[in-house]
Amino acid sequence: MEDESGRIVVSGLTKTFGVVKAVDDLSFTVEPGTVTGFLGPNGAGKTTTLRCVLGLVTPTSGRTAIGGQPYAALPTPPKTVGALLEASSFHPARTARNHLRVYCTVSGIPKRRADEVLELVGLTSAANRKVKGFSMGMRQRLGLATALLGDPKVLILDEPANGLDPEGIQWLRQFLRHLAEDGRTILVSSHMLNEVEQTVDHVVIINRGTLVRQGRLADLADHHGHAVLVQSPDTDKLATALEGRAEITRLPEGGLRITGPTAAEVGHVAFTEQVELHELSTEKSDLEQIFFALTGDTGEVGHFGDVEGGAA
Amino acid sequence: MTRLVQAEFGKLFSTKLWLWLLLGAFGLTALAVSLTIGFNGQPNNPTPLLSTPEGQRNLFSSAGASSIFALILGIIAVTGEFRHQTVTPTFLATPHRGRVVIAKLAGYSVTGVGYGLATIALAIAIALPWTSAKGIDLSLSDNGIPAVLVGVAASVAVYSLLGVGVGALVRNQIAAVVGALVYLFVVEGIVSAVPVIRDYYKWFPGGANAALTGTFQPGADLLEPWQGGLLLVGYGLLFAGLGTWLTVRRDVT
Repeated sequence: MEDESGRIVVSGLTKTFGVVKAVDDLSFTVEPGTVTGFLGPNGAGKTTTLRCVLGLVTPTSGRTAIGGQPYAALPTPPKTVGALLEASSFHPARTARNHLRVYCTVSGIPKRRADEVLELVGLTSAANRKVKGFSMGMRQRLGLATALLGDPKVLILDEPANGLDPEGIQWLRQFLRHLAEDGRTILVSSHMLNEVEQTVDHVVIINRGTLVRQGRLADLADHHGHAVLVQSPDTDKLATALEGRAEITRLPEGGLRITGPTAAEVGHVAFTEQVELHELSTEKSDLEQIFFALTGDTGEVGHFGDVEGGAA
Repeated sequence: MTRLVQAEFGKLFSTKLWLWLLLGAFGLTALAVSLTIGFNGQPNNPTPLLSTPEGQRNLFSSAGASSIFALILGIIAVTGEFRHQTVTPTFLATPHRGRVVIAKLAGYSVTGVGYGLATIALAIAIALPWTSAKGIDLSLSDNGIPAVLVGVAASVAVYSLLGVGVGALVRNQIAAVVGALVYLFVVEGIVSAVPVIRDYYKWFPGGANAALTGTFQPGADLLEPWQGGLLLVGYGLLFAGLGTWLTVRRDVT
């Protein structure tokens, strides 16, 4: 039962706005206790999907559930699921503390919790200030504070990094990691993989309303294969020796990009063939490039070799 | 449900809108009462003399003009949530949206009663010393005045509820406020004046309100005050119900 409680299930979800199919027969599952990046380019249907899960948008067909129940069936939803959606859902003339207290009252949460969450997101000093004077970053923090009011096991965050400066993004990463360490289930959407790749362990990638890939972030990289990069004054000899055993690309700057064998195997071949090596390294797949390839956002499908360093 | 109504009060009193609108209601009440007393007995003034029971009732029912501010308060209670997107956390916390509308209807009816009582208190505070200085014998317990006072307070309260209904039906704030004002001051005026349709005026919100507050309208055929009050509540609930059905349950995107 406890284990079930944080699972988010989307099954056969379709949502049509007029003639536009925002979400098209989408199915995926977010396991309890995982931090999942919900990724896709702008307009892929991420926000619509999340709003369906949260009961704000009625699906055209299909179902969503949190812990086996549709959102509206949860006894006190904010105690199970916290959500951060648009950048600002505050009355401009209301103070941060009063904003939080209103939602404490609605859900029967003690009012002191408002001050606790303000402290958690670092807004204590702004508690009595009206929201209209808040910066974008402060609004996002207040949004997170609102989401955390009910100390929920599940957090659904829609593009929380939007509009944040680099410092704010850094803060958000640390904050999400901190929340994840508490064992919460977190589903965080983004159109930029690099915003969340340090935080998430799973990804759900969608494009044009349909699922492109779901799985562990590590598997995503593995699936696209690691390549071995070699620099040598005698690349031709090495290439000949590896023929038939590996796929070899000649890099414009002179080296070889070898897929198939491991770095050790390539090193062994070089050793037995007495080929002088200047560099032997494993290329780490650049997740951003994989992401673009999967979502077809750029025409650079498969051009991993062009990526210098490639550190993810 | 109690929590939801409490939360509505929390929202209301955490901004100053209620205060500005109450001041507006006070201003309009003071103006209406002052004009009625000030122009009492002037030539060409069609309103009945303050020395008559009819005139005294009319003096207090003129305070009912402030109900327009209660109406605006009720409209903003709903439309403000959509305007500032607070509707998102509100519906996240209460996915059964009809309950939010019911909580607002309840909370703003109570607030409306408060507005109504405050308005009456002000009208009395202005009228009693002034009329006594003029040597007019004015008693609050005679000449049907208690019924008028209750009617005015009820009218202000019901207008607040009516506002919630209008806001639920028309969730665009500017459209709802402007629409309601144009309706009350233009459409109702036409309805009450055009011979063929003025027979139906008593069934319109303005006519019902005039009945409730005992407004002096020579030649107008009005309902009994309690009937007018019930009709207004009916309009408020009808708008709120239609609004919940047609507007409030729409996707929040």
